Amino acid sequence: MKGDKLTAWSFNEIFAEIQRVWTSQLLSQRTLEHLYMFAIALFFSFLAGVLIGVLTYRNPRFADPIFNSLNIVETIPDIALLVLLLPVFGIGKTPTIVASILYSILPIARNTYTGLSNVPGEHIEIAEALGLTRREILFKIRFPLSLPLIAGGIRIAVVFTMGVVTLGGLIAAGGLGAALQNGIQLYDMGTILVTGIWIGILAVLLDGAAGLIEHILQVRYGK
Amino acid sequence: MISGKLFERIESLRLENVTKKYGENFAVRNLNLEIKGGELLILIGKSGSGKTTVLRMMNRLIEPDSGSISINGIDIRKFDPIRLRRNTGYVIQNIGLLPHLRVSGNIGLIPKLEGWKEEKIQERIQDLLNFVSLPPQVFTDRYPHELSGGQQQRVGLARAMVMSPPLFLMDEPFGALDSLLRAQLQDEFYRIKKELGRTIVFVTHDINEAFRLGDRIAIIDNSELVQVGTPQELIFSPSSNLVAEIVDSKRKYRHIDALKVKDLAQPLDKRYILDSGLSAASVLDHMSAEGLEIALVFDSPENSGRVGLTDVMKAVSSGKSLDEALKPLPLFSPETPLLEALLRLKTGGGSIGLVLENDKPGGILFSDRILQNLV
Repeated sequence: MKGDKLTAWSFNEIFAEIQRVWTSQLLSQRTLEHLYMFAIALFFSFLAGVLIGVLTYRNPRFADPIFNSLNIVETIPDIALLVLLLPVFGIGKTPTIVASILYSILPIARNTYTGLSNVPGEHIEIAEALGLTRREILFKIRFPLSLPLIAGGIRIAVVFTMGVVTLGGLIAAGGLGAALQNGIQLYDMGTILVTGIWIGILAVLLDGAAGLIEHILQVRYGK
Repeated sequence: MISGKLFERIESLRLENVTKKYGENFAVRNLNLEIKGGELLILIGKSGSGKTTVLRMMNRLIEPDSGSISINGIDIRKFDPIRLRRNTGYVIQNIGLLPHLRVSGNIGLIPKLEGWKEEKIQERIQDLLNFVSLPPQVFTDRYPHELSGGQQQRVGLARAMVMSPPLFLMDEPFGALDSLLRAQLQDEFYRIKKELGRTIVFVTHDINEAFRLGDRIAIIDNSELVQVGTPQELIFSPSSNLVAEIVDSKRKYRHIDALKVKDLAQPLDKRYILDSGLSAASVLDHMSAEGLEIALVFDSPENSGRVGLTDVMKAVSSGKSLDEALKPLPLFSPETPLLEALLRLKTGGGSIGLVLENDKPGGILFSDRILQNLV
């Protein structure tokens, strides 16, 4: 049975349909590709975001120009960004990952910058009085105390990255977006639904995990 | 890594013509003060009088505009400020425990940066927690927000002591605590002070606290030092009306025999009252849960006493009953003449008495509070 229209299906039929889509579209492999791109993109967004956050904190005069530029990137629609990257990176995984990173840097960098700049003065004061150097205050006090906010930025980045990586299916990046693309090309409603819902579940789980980490950090620091 | 001691002992800490201005306003004006090694000097004054600025100049958190500060004859500007601060214990009113570090992390922060071995740090943390009467096995791994105000204060003190600094700077360390807990911690601090034999500069705005703890008291008003001297000197020869007003020396003319216990009793928080016959372990649980440092046991006038958290912990660890750990608790009726109450407190050797109203606990009498009101 090919699911080209929605009718009332029994539980067994639904299960059989999921199995059909899963094997025909190689969803296990697609999921791995998807998570691989997601992980790489998030890892580099984190590195770049935190680095930019720390640099702008140490040189506040760069904060405005840098965040304004990142904001402009943020306003480009994601499909347009993928197209803009084509001449440089071609098609496939690389431009997808690059686009994800470009989108995700801003929330992480901005939250890092805000977190580092807004650590309550009393904590900084006592750290100075105890005899910590400026560098020690940054790494031992400001940075750990900013972690809940940085985690909040990463959580936003998780959602962005998940969206862009899925879109990468359009430019031959593989991943679950490719399976979704197949479903759309063939007008295979079963594939569209199963893959779509699966992507949704993954996104919710990853966002939930990021939210949990954020929450744990907030509770630990007694907020 | 910045290591090594700047000085083993403070012989003198001298401020000469120290001035600090913010814009057009003087925070400190032409201040001259010598603090002797081993003494506890109180800086007292209204808020905004400049007393905290003076304290913060002593470890170079604030640099004076003119004048000099020297320790053992050496200008402190010659010291690296980081080294100077690590050789100085610093305690502030809101304690300032770092919320992301456990008790052990807070106390061990500087030793870690100084590159001490992990074993040595842990050993030092255990010793200090014991010293401030916090059982290490309970408190080492807690976060600051899991501690009561009094417990946080003790951790703050332990953190200030970790590098065995010869000099302590304390900025209203008991300011945020309720009166009974404050009295208890002041008692303990007095003991610690004697054991440490360190030089301490202590900022407060509470004249009772100043008289209770200070060897000498420096009165600061409107950015200037008004008078410095022992409590007796300030009471019996105030240099100005202002000093007389602050130390309230007119009260020495008040007739003590006109006063009764009820005139000077303090209200009582019911949490401090325990039934007798409880086991030492259950009392320890209760006190830990409520964050109490001291408790008063009262059933009937024949069956009463007071007990500190340290005593209870000692009783639990040595298997004694609570009754054996109890110290005598003088009882008064509200109508008892104050003189008689004072005499009984003095002969009993304690500083706290319980006031009964209709045979039920109704208030507390602190001997130092009485004396303060009478000198």
